[in-house]
Amino acid sequence: MKTLLEKLIVNYPYFFAMVLFSIGVMTVLTRSNLFKKLLGINIMGSAGYILFIAAGNIRGGTDPILHQSDPGTVYVNPLPSALMLTGIVVSVSVTAFALSLIIRLYKEYGTTDARRIARMRNEVTKSDSSDRG
Amino acid sequence: MTAVIADNLPAFVIIVPLFAGVVLPVFARRQRLVEGLVVLAEAAGLAGVGFLAYIVFTHRGTDWVYQMGGWPAPWGIELTVNSLAVFFLFAVMAVSLPIALFTMGNLKDEVGSNKRTARFYTLFLLLVGSLAGMALANDLFNTYVLVEVATLSCCGLVSSRGTPRAAEAAFTYLVLATLASSLVVIGIGFIYVTTGHLNMGFASQGLAQAWQDRPHVVWLAISFVLVGFGLKSALFPLHVWLPDAHSSAPSPASAVLSGLAVKGYMICLLKFLYVVFGPALMKEFSVDRILVLAGMAAIICGAVMALPQDDLKRRLAFSTVSQVGYIYLGFGLMDENGLAGALFYLASHAAIKSTLFLSAGAMIASAGKKKISEMAGIGRKMPLTAAAFTAASLGLIGIPMFSGFIGKWYLIAGSLDTGDFLPTVIIIAGSVLCAAYLFPVIRAMWFETPQKAKQESTVQQECKTAVQHAAEHMPAGPGVPREVRVKDPGAAQKLALILLTAVIFVLGVVPGPFIELARSAAAELLMLR
Repeated sequence: MKTLLEKLIVNYPYFFAMVLFSIGVMTVLTRSNLFKKLLGINIMGSAGYILFIAAGNIRGGTDPILHQSDPGTVYVNPLPSALMLTGIVVSVSVTAFALSLIIRLYKEYGTTDARRIARMRNEVTKSDSSDRG
Repeated sequence: MTAVIADNLPAFVIIVPLFAGVVLPVFARRQRLVEGLVVLAEAAGLAGVGFLAYIVFTHRGTDWVYQMGGWPAPWGIELTVNSLAVFFLFAVMAVSLPIALFTMGNLKDEVGSNKRTARFYTLFLLLVGSLAGMALANDLFNTYVLVEVATLSCCGLVSSRGTPRAAEAAFTYLVLATLASSLVVIGIGFIYVTTGHLNMGFASQGLAQAWQDRPHVVWLAISFVLVGFGLKSALFPLHVWLPDAHSSAPSPASAVLSGLAVKGYMICLLKFLYVVFGPALMKEFSVDRILVLAGMAAIICGAVMALPQDDLKRRLAFSTVSQVGYIYLGFGLMDENGLAGALFYLASHAAIKSTLFLSAGAMIASAGKKKISEMAGIGRKMPLTAAAFTAASLGLIGIPMFSGFIGKWYLIAGSLDTGDFLPTVIIIAGSVLCAAYLFPVIRAMWFETPQKAKQESTVQQECKTAVQHAAEHMPAGPGVPREVRVKDPGAAQKLALILLTAVIFVLGVVPGPFIELARSAAAELLMLR
């Protein structure tokens, strides 16, 4: 029976994936700077990549090209890497779109702090309603 | 040619909207052509789904498993055409076609400029295509990719008006939706790590074994997937992004976001829970009870939060939070009647909420007023729009003859079957609350007279008459205030509203075939067959 520590050392990529994921979630939820939120999203994404790619790795395996002379070779599973290529594309488009939104917000409010933006917006809506009333 | 289309129909249903969406920007300058293409793609999708439904009805009991590229299951990617897929596809196409019709000719006013309309249609068609894909996909990672396509298009639609308010709502939505996507992809990762399969059927077989060997990993996977999709589909404590995002989007976008996009994620969660994890594992981890509790909380809290909203679109957005609760409640009942009711309610809510948002959008655009308190007497000026709004409200409340009633009837039957009476009470209480937040709108529209004329002082009236007098004698220039005539929207918009109201009536008066389809989907999911 292996101890918990041994299990952690053997499965260290999964452990680091979860640590990265927690860092990402904390950044997204606790930081009010929009750029930091975006960085947090990207850190979370990296956690997913590590999880998948570690799952595909086989220690001592070679690149997944079929050698006809030696059919008994152990290959690294290429599927998770291919999947994560898609994941990276998705992450890039999310980042690009989020950056364009941040630029739009910065042009309007002159800040990239979510709390200050919310405060300024509330003031605008309040003055709107007081004008009407 | 027809044989090629008929043999590859499941792939075409997904590809046609996606392809049309990508091609559209080429014709961006020719407004009419773009609108025609969108409606054509939608109509083609609806026809395709009709044919798929015919196949499912004639080959009852066997799913049509379509292999992409002809590769067999563990290696290739599958699309499964079963009752659930056809039911959801029908809802998507039958609701998105009228929404596309509604946007003909007046989208420019909604999104701001002619340049943005082609972008709007691209995102709209990408969303429809990815929703169709979610219904059909039988592969975990494909589902994730389609979810991402849908999420990005949704964020684009929210921000398509280009106002800073919309940009802020879109950013919040984007951050939370991407957080949810990461949760989902890590959940899928855990399933792949433990089973070695991404195909839903094979993963399900693998999980039955993996649960014996590594229960903790399966537990992690199920909780990541549940929270991820729950966040995306605004399950009650995770709904914070929805009111802002749905109310600051242009009205046709609100209709498709509230009516369809949220439902797509729910169907994904349904497939993950029932097809991949299976009813036995769901019971083991009490997922069913979590869904019922969250659903009940959503019904009450969503409705209570909708009550004080004076902004009409915000009230409708909070109402979506409440209605999502009904569907999750039905998902959690794990009973044939309850699940069929939830699916029926999902389709009915898609039609109802689209009608509500479209008619509300028409009223807001025509009268230039967003608040319910300012809408007094609008029903007499825009009778058809207000009538569509009223019919949809009655449907949402659950009056007999309208589709919401049938859905609620089956949900109540399902909750009585499980022997727990609390959900029944909550469903009925939710209906009463729904009436409480929708009847004031109807009353203001039909029975109240505009208050502005009374409040205006005589001085102001004198000024106004002087201005009018001047306007009559002067040629109309840009400086002269012109009275905007509040009236029903154009013919395409009227047709769209009539079509959607007809869907609500048809679902409410002759629900037979639809409830039959929903029941067979429920039986498939619960593995009763």
